[in-house]
Amino acid sequence: MFWGGVSRALLVRDQEKVVLLIAITLFCCFSIFLNGFISAGNLLTLVRSVSILGILGVGMAFLVIGRGIDLSIVAIYAMSAAWTLHLANAGVSIPLAMLLGYLLALAAGVINGVLIAYVEVPALFATLGMASLVYGFARYALVPLVVVYMPAGASGIAWVGGGFVFGVPIPILLFALIALLGHAFLRFTKPGRFIYAIGDNFAAARISGAPVRPIIVLQCVLSATIAYLAGMITATAVSSMDTNVTNSSMIYDVILVVVLGGIGLSGGRGGIRNVIVGTLLIGILLNGMTIMNVQYTLQNVIRGLILLAAIVIDSILNPRDELTAQQGDI
Amino acid sequence: MTVPVTPLLEMKKVAKEYRGVAALKDIDFDLRRGEVHAILGENGAGKSTLVKILSGAVPPSAGEIHLEGRRVQFAGPAQARRHGIAMVYQETSLVPALTVAQNLYLGDEKFFNRLRGTYIEAQQLLQSLNFPVDPTATVQSLGTAKRQMVEIARAVRLKAKIIIFDEPTATLTSEEKHHLFLLIDRLREDQVSIIFISHALEEALEISDRITILRDGLHVITGDAKAFSRDTIVRHMVGRSLTHELYGRAADERAARLPREKVLSVQNLSMQNVVRNTSFSIFAGQVTGIFGLVGSGRTETAKIIAGVAKRDFFHGGDVRLDGSAVRYRTPRQAVGDGVVYVTEDRKGEGFFETMSVAENIYIGQISSRQSPGIATSMRTMRALATSWTKKLNVKALNSDARVIELSGGNQQKVVIAKSLVQKPRLIIFDEPTRGVDVGAIAEIHQLIGALADDGLAVIVISSYLPEILSLSDRILVSRQGRIVAELSPDEATSATVMFAAVY
Repeated sequence: MFWGGVSRALLVRDQEKVVLLIAITLFCCFSIFLNGFISAGNLLTLVRSVSILGILGVGMAFLVIGRGIDLSIVAIYAMSAAWTLHLANAGVSIPLAMLLGYLLALAAGVINGVLIAYVEVPALFATLGMASLVYGFARYALVPLVVVYMPAGASGIAWVGGGFVFGVPIPILLFALIALLGHAFLRFTKPGRFIYAIGDNFAAARISGAPVRPIIVLQCVLSATIAYLAGMITATAVSSMDTNVTNSSMIYDVILVVVLGGIGLSGGRGGIRNVIVGTLLIGILLNGMTIMNVQYTLQNVIRGLILLAAIVIDSILNPRDELTAQQGDI
Repeated sequence: MTVPVTPLLEMKKVAKEYRGVAALKDIDFDLRRGEVHAILGENGAGKSTLVKILSGAVPPSAGEIHLEGRRVQFAGPAQARRHGIAMVYQETSLVPALTVAQNLYLGDEKFFNRLRGTYIEAQQLLQSLNFPVDPTATVQSLGTAKRQMVEIARAVRLKAKIIIFDEPTATLTSEEKHHLFLLIDRLREDQVSIIFISHALEEALEISDRITILRDGLHVITGDAKAFSRDTIVRHMVGRSLTHELYGRAADERAARLPREKVLSVQNLSMQNVVRNTSFSIFAGQVTGIFGLVGSGRTETAKIIAGVAKRDFFHGGDVRLDGSAVRYRTPRQAVGDGVVYVTEDRKGEGFFETMSVAENIYIGQISSRQSPGIATSMRTMRALATSWTKKLNVKALNSDARVIELSGGNQQKVVIAKSLVQKPRLIIFDEPTRGVDVGAIAEIHQLIGALADDGLAVIVISSYLPEILSLSDRILVSRQGRIVAELSPDEATSATVMFAAVY
């Protein structure tokens, strides 16, 4: 009790600042002590991976603020982009391939939303199932390869992931743009306010007359759309898409970015700013560990510990409410 | 002939601070063996804090507790229980998935636990208390009243010397209340001491031997129950006389408002076995009070009308708004047509606790069809907040204050404001003053009257008779899922209304 009181007083308003401070400290330490961290090549890698993580974090944030979660976001990210590349390789025109890829992502998002909102399956289970379904279906029926490369004819869209504007990599600009749009959406539009209302108290939002079910579908569609964008940015940046990423720890990194930044899993709290600071910290940490040649398994240990610590701190700062918590929600 | 009484329990100069804010200041309190002692006070007066200290749930910041002459300190509720102090909670603390018997013996099971033996023992215990509860039933299948019986039985089984009841009657029907009071009498004869917290003053007057009144964390007065009247209690509670303001409006003081056009008619509405073939009409420009005991289907009927009830359970019937049939599947459709429901469960489904007063009210606005477009407007939000907090006299530090930090009465006002911005034509108040402090009750009652004067169709659902009698221009009585009687204020008295509700 004492502990909770103290940490609450210290952190409740400042979690964002604390995380930002740690990120900056870490960045400075790595720059000084790690050879090659500050090099142009590495910074480019850093920025690119941070951008992808951050963009996916924005999509995840829409769900988490509404007291949901999207475990299928990485599967949609990888498989929709992989299918787009595969179609392009098979001779489908680039615009059509992109459209079909997006339709795959959209379908997954809509089904997620319908399952959660209308069938009333807890988001955790609906999206867990969807992650497996999207990966399995795409590998079985759409994309026979593990790694799909970008066709030579697709250089027209290579700028998305690989281009620069005034020396700034386009992925980070896209992250900034999506973050800005996401922020504006959450703060200044009615659907955005409804997402907070649903995350705070679903029953109250429903009784107030908020369109709760359409809003949940909208959340899932937005998340899937953002996943597709992130997928295309990755694909054009590294000229390929590795479908194995679905089975990697990436989904935990995305959740980590959101929770660490200070968006409570109990819903209704936080915003895009939290995603940005969370992204910075995790991006810098992961990149530093890779340069230090920390074993992949040990990296997972560290990541797991940070995720658990972030969730524990979250549950101290934003305790779950017995009254409004629903069985099975995250 | 007075025997000097040594108190069973004594609290000396007990104080409690929460983060520097004093919730209790230097309270002296004593409890005699075999007495029923009511603790009364407005919300936030410190009643709950006092009993939490007694039941070991929170430690006092200062002061001493003496039990049977010896000083005691409780490290937790378990230790208080070992000292013979048991608490019967408002929200019950039973395990829903276990049976009644298993709950009664929870934590006390023998190593080789024979279920049959437990059932037989539990049956005997329940019978000795005259509780009609099946020990093999799971707790989740029981209603609130029976759950409370199980809690009481558990306290009795643990041979508690002191049993604390926190708002025991809030969810009971009058029949069940009667049973509870009989039981309290029996416990008193067995020399068990009882602390009784309630908002219902009549009950406190009826059942208790002594009464202690708290106000703003201070001890105001303790005395024999016989020395108090409803009026003196209220005066001590609020420091002024409010009874008249609250319930003084007798039928002869103000003529009942006349009905204008018929807004709603309900024909043969049914849902599971909670609402059974009920029919009634509601008119604009007057307050229709629906009285009924808990479980009589009032809330469920209201929830069907306002689209809140899930459709899966709907069994048929006809709801007509202005003569055309409507069947709302979601509250959104109802809100769109100007039918709003103000819930009895503020925290569970009323307000948004992470949001400010202004944001809460604004959610009501943007959920209705009052505001077209997709963008939100800070200016509209502020303007709404300013005008409505003023209109309803919401006392918050500022409109950025979070709703969770307000008192029950102010929270209720915010929930009401959130519905009123939707410009309803029919507004249903479900237990509008439950858990609301006395001062705010008067204001909410005035508001309800003003809404009817403005031509709205107003329904007030309440299980508190004086509230129904003083507010309504027309009284419907609900029993077993059906409206069984309609009374005008002239013919309605406590007796006639209660008679219709029970028999």
